[in-house]
Amino acid sequence: MSSLKENMEKLKLYREHNIRYSREITQVWNETISSNIDNLGKEKHIILEQVCIAAIDCYQLKIAEKCIHELYKEFPNSSRIRILESMYHEADENFNRALQILNDIVKKDITNSAARKRKIAICKALGRNTEAIKELVEYLKIFMADVEAWQELSELYISEHEYSKAAFCVEELILHNPHNHLLHQRYADIRYSQGGMENIELARTYYNQSYKLNPKNIRALYGSYLTTTALLNSQKVSGKKKDAAVKVVDWCLKEIKKRYSEVKVSEIEESLSALEI
Amino acid sequence: MSADLIVDPQIRFWVFLPIVVITFLVGILRHYASILLSSQKKVEMQQLADSQLLLRARALRENSGYIPKNSFLMRKQAFNKEDGYLMQKRPPVTQNMMTDPSMMTDMLKGNLTNVLPMIIIGGWINWVFSGFITTKVPFPLTLRFKPMLQRGIELSHLDASWVSSASWYFLNVFGLRSIYTLVLGENNAADQSRQMQEQMQMTGAASGMPADPKVPFKAEWEALEIMEHQSKLFDAEDVLQE
Amino acid sequence: MATKVKNEPFVAYSESAIRNNLSIVEYCRTSVAAVSGCTAGVLGLTGLYGALFFIVAVTGFWFMLLGKAGIDSWKKFFISRKSLLINGIFGHFFTYILCWTFIYGMVHVY
Repeated sequence: MSSLKENMEKLKLYREHNIRYSREITQVWNETISSNIDNLGKEKHIILEQVCIAAIDCYQLKIAEKCIHELYKEFPNSSRIRILESMYHEADENFNRALQILNDIVKKDITNSAARKRKIAICKALGRNTEAIKELVEYLKIFMADVEAWQELSELYISEHEYSKAAFCVEELILHNPHNHLLHQRYADIRYSQGGMENIELARTYYNQSYKLNPKNIRALYGSYLTTTALLNSQKVSGKKKDAAVKVVDWCLKEIKKRYSEVKVSEIEESLSALEI
Repeated sequence: MSADLIVDPQIRFWVFLPIVVITFLVGILRHYASILLSSQKKVEMQQLADSQLLLRARALRENSGYIPKNSFLMRKQAFNKEDGYLMQKRPPVTQNMMTDPSMMTDMLKGNLTNVLPMIIIGGWINWVFSGFITTKVPFPLTLRFKPMLQRGIELSHLDASWVSSASWYFLNVFGLRSIYTLVLGENNAADQSRQMQEQMQMTGAASGMPADPKVPFKAEWEALEIMEHQSKLFDAEDVLQE
Repeated sequence: MATKVKNEPFVAYSESAIRNNLSIVEYCRTSVAAVSGCTAGVLGLTGLYGALFFIVAVTGFWFMLLGKAGIDSWKKFFISRKSLLINGIFGHFFTYILCWTFIYGMVHVY
């Protein structure tokens, strides 16, 4: 049983680092905060919002309802709280009601990006991927620099197997965050899945880039190995390049084995031999 | 004149210190007042879209080395071609400062919270604390500064280092700026000279973008046109150097 | 502290970390300006000596910063040493003059 102060500190830490330990947050709520709402001082509303979202994550709808109620007492006309309310309805599967609230918000204030994004999330939850993609593209025509939206779009395209469009989205992401090794690796994955000589070469470059940015990225090593092997086996490369490529392949394998030997995984030999094309 | 005049210690206590305290407190008051008075600037949809567009174009320019050449060319086309993003026509908005009501109120509020208190208090101090010397600045000043710094003191052979209360007040205003950053954190409204700088640059425009979007569009267009793709990607052979 | 990704010959910096470092340096620099101003006032320095003292204080502070960041590893925290020295010096000069005049007035004219 920790004190109110400690719990508030913990919640603040979660907020600052964008951590989503929803179960812990609801526990904290049940322990201390729910009985001490008025003692929360300046942080009262932001904590209420945080707990509300956590409660919706854990399907503790009573808690969420209480939070929303408290927030409405202070800010009766806030669109931010109405978005929370729409999330509540969404969790309760009243999608029509949620959509109605969101449409209302967007009508009143067309620059509200959060409401639009919730609408797209609802479409996604309903499984209507194509509609979600359409809405997201419309959204991005206006809010071009929204990195999260590009990320969502790339994932939607991947799930619809539209790899070239997904590659476009990931390129946008790379433009905004050029030093994120995961983005380069994802891009390489997409290009490798597309297939074709040019794409495999691109994939190889990006796997190498990703490895260079973060030498701990084993997937990049694997990717490097696979793409280089594919290039060796299929294309007529000049002698010098072929030697260099063979060296790269050998080095990749050695490096992978070294990494795994450090971590003691037993079946590495079998898995690697299964990869031999 | 001689370096050491005998000065009445009472002056020190009742003039010197109060001016410092007043300047400091007024600055802090100004900070909180501006927080209360600041209006919520409503952002136009078009302005928002335009600013996002510019952000995207800038990201493209800065990091084009990390995407394949074809992708870069495709995007460059999309932005720069005949009816591409950057060539979109925008209705010309006239910069009519007197008739645009929202800009007027913004400017008025800006003036009210920044310049007006300084003038009022400067004048008040000049009126109340006039006719005597306040302090000596520790460095030698030329005679040209005398009329500026020694308002109300009519001694012709007084060293220019001895200054009046008004000049001490202005010295305070400038010196306390950095201390406001210490006390109030970044972005505080008491930092007056920065406000004046901003006013000179923006001439009272709303946030998001100035009323003429064509200028930054044109600038981005030109920058993108002359840009060549330079691949910063990394190649396989160097992997072995690791 | 800043994190840096080495990608020769290009180097990448974490934007927020750099900004954090610079704001901390700014904070320290203001305090140094204020304190050195007070010392100058107490010591009764005048004119050129005062300006010299300011330069000495700022350079001393610069050395201390580099010492704390490490002679070899300062690159991990700041982009350029020179800008660390020169940046924002005018505003702090004013603070220095203010404190200097203030304490000088307090101590010597009293």
